[in-house]
Amino acid sequence: MLGCYVTGIFPRPKELIETTRAYDRRRVGKEALEKAFKEATVKVIEAQTSAGLSYVSDGMLKWQDLLRPFTENLGGVKIGALARWFNNNTFYRKPIVLGEILRKKDITVEIANMDCLPRNVPWKAVLPAPYTLAKLSENNFYKSETELLLKYAEILKEEIRSLAERNFKYVQLSDPALVYNPFKEPISKDILADVNNALETAVKGVTVRVCLQTFFGDFTQILPEALDFPVDDFGIDLYETSLEKLEEYTFDKSVALGLIDARSSLLEDEKELSAVAKELIESVYPSKTCDVFICPNCDLEFLPWERAKEKIRIIAKVAKNLENELS
Amino acid sequence: MDKPFPTQEIGSLAKPAWRVKGYRGESLSEEEIAETVKWGRKFGIENLEELVKILTAKERTPADKKALLQWSAKFAIRFFEAAGLDVVFDGEQWRSEMYEHVIRNVEGFEFLGYVKSFDYRYFNKAACVNRPRYTKSFYVEEFTFTRENAKKMVKVPFTGPYTLVDWTFNEYYERKAGGKIKDFKKRKTAARRDFLCDLIKEVVRPEISRLTEAGAKWIQIDEPAATTNPSAEEMELFVEAFNETVRGFNCTFSLHNCYSNYRILAKYASQLRNCSQLALEFANRDSRQAGIDERVGYKELKFFEDYGFHGKYGLGVVDVHTDFIEPPELIRDRIIHALSIVKDSSRIYVSTDCGLRTRTWETSFAKLKNMVFGAELARKDLS
Repeated sequence: MLGCYVTGIFPRPKELIETTRAYDRRRVGKEALEKAFKEATVKVIEAQTSAGLSYVSDGMLKWQDLLRPFTENLGGVKIGALARWFNNNTFYRKPIVLGEILRKKDITVEIANMDCLPRNVPWKAVLPAPYTLAKLSENNFYKSETELLLKYAEILKEEIRSLAERNFKYVQLSDPALVYNPFKEPISKDILADVNNALETAVKGVTVRVCLQTFFGDFTQILPEALDFPVDDFGIDLYETSLEKLEEYTFDKSVALGLIDARSSLLEDEKELSAVAKELIESVYPSKTCDVFICPNCDLEFLPWERAKEKIRIIAKVAKNLENELS
Repeated sequence: MDKPFPTQEIGSLAKPAWRVKGYRGESLSEEEIAETVKWGRKFGIENLEELVKILTAKERTPADKKALLQWSAKFAIRFFEAAGLDVVFDGEQWRSEMYEHVIRNVEGFEFLGYVKSFDYRYFNKAACVNRPRYTKSFYVEEFTFTRENAKKMVKVPFTGPYTLVDWTFNEYYERKAGGKIKDFKKRKTAARRDFLCDLIKEVVRPEISRLTEAGAKWIQIDEPAATTNPSAEEMELFVEAFNETVRGFNCTFSLHNCYSNYRILAKYASQLRNCSQLALEFANRDSRQAGIDERVGYKELKFFEDYGFHGKYGLGVVDVHTDFIEPPELIRDRIIHALSIVKDSSRIYVSTDCGLRTRTWETSFAKLKNMVFGAELARKDLS
């Protein structure tokens, strides 16, 4: 199968930006804000279905950052100060862990706009991976980082289950912290073993397809250990990963190729992307080809909405080109 | 400066309602006009009736709008001087905002729309779509006006090229590099360097040249994005950009950076050439308790010393993100504590953490007055 989808928080369309700003300045009320979110959600879903993506997401327009629904809703966690979101001019609020972490309700499904999602295309949800949640939290309670990591993994397991019950077919675990490594320090085998355990806890027995989406760093740093992680697919940021090194490996799992640059407004050349993807696929799957997904390298939220919409079309076109070429 | 602990601001001051509405051509309420006159009188500004005439007119001509820029610049200069600062500017009253002001005045850029900064805050982000072209000066007129109207020493805040590049989509150079370099990461890195080099050569240095010709003696390069990408390659690129920006000019240069990773910046600060001062934010990291022995917010100052930075410090002693008015004694304690690290009183300029644009004029004025008092208390401690 050659599929395509997007990989995280969408940019807010202009009208929604205006309403959120007005809300912030107390010029409109909660009702107007909710209405604007709903209208924008319909819009971002429509952009995905009309482009022909294989899975559709609700766009996560309410997510202030990848961790926020958890930071705000988990017992034992307090919302902290603003911190830089990796090497972006964007900020998130740090989760401060002060006590035993408790999941008091379904977090993700509660803010998902499921009634806007289409009936005829499978749904995709995005969650922070356990490692990224733990790494970006300030731990003032658990004895070790490993303990915190496993605790988050248990919480995520419940989240994934509740998503599966609501008919989501695909769950992406976003794990930028695992590969973001500006000082090029080797990633220890112990950490990778802990991540493996945490993923095992989070996804064991779940009925949805699960992808570990890495971005803002080179995927090959966590190879070959990551190939044993108990997930179905690996997401790779091709704007941070050395293509040369990637081609040294062969895979027996599916990949989501982050071929479209969500941190650049330049519209990519579809033919060039198709050629790069084809070469990669032939290299990492020398005999048996697994499923391949075409996607952006990270959340589209770094782009203004209009430009993101054009990139969604490119994603679909590249997937189509490849399907024709590889069949 | 002949006295220890001279006081300075960092750049921006909030634009008063009459400047914003007046410039947009909107009408002002009687209270707003009265507020304008109140501040004007407080600063001893002459011919206020001319300003009131512009603000109460039914329509505003382009000449009126230009006059409003000058009026608000004059108010801001007097504001800083009345607070007692030794180094002043015009509170960036001529600029829409530090990023937009430059980008809108240089050819080769297009604003694409708003992107998220955090929560419900956004910023208008531009793309470089063509080789940047310098067609007109964007700071000189403001500087000339400020110099003519200021009684104190003038320092020109200048948005640095590294930050301009970091905050802008790089379409032109990425397109140009396309095809030539296969690896996407290497392609983007090369395109970023080309963009930065061209921007410095084509825009930043020509503007500095015009400023120095017009008599600018001190330019502060503002680089809030300096440590956004903390890798060695990026930090070296930032240092190279600063050094190339200031190379060969007969002018004093300083660097302002705030809300950043100082462990990283400290490591590279001694490589900055011709950088007479680092203006850094510390008050935001500090406690409000009195005392000169332990000051949590200033521990990172030591990194700069340990890594061998020998220049001066613009020591942030006033937090610009809170309405808390720092008492003069707290300001003094912060200065005396910093002196115990830096050892040399001539290396400390007393400053706000960053520009005061997010505070009201009342709050900003009270904060600055106390900062000036605190510096005076610290001077007394020395003698």
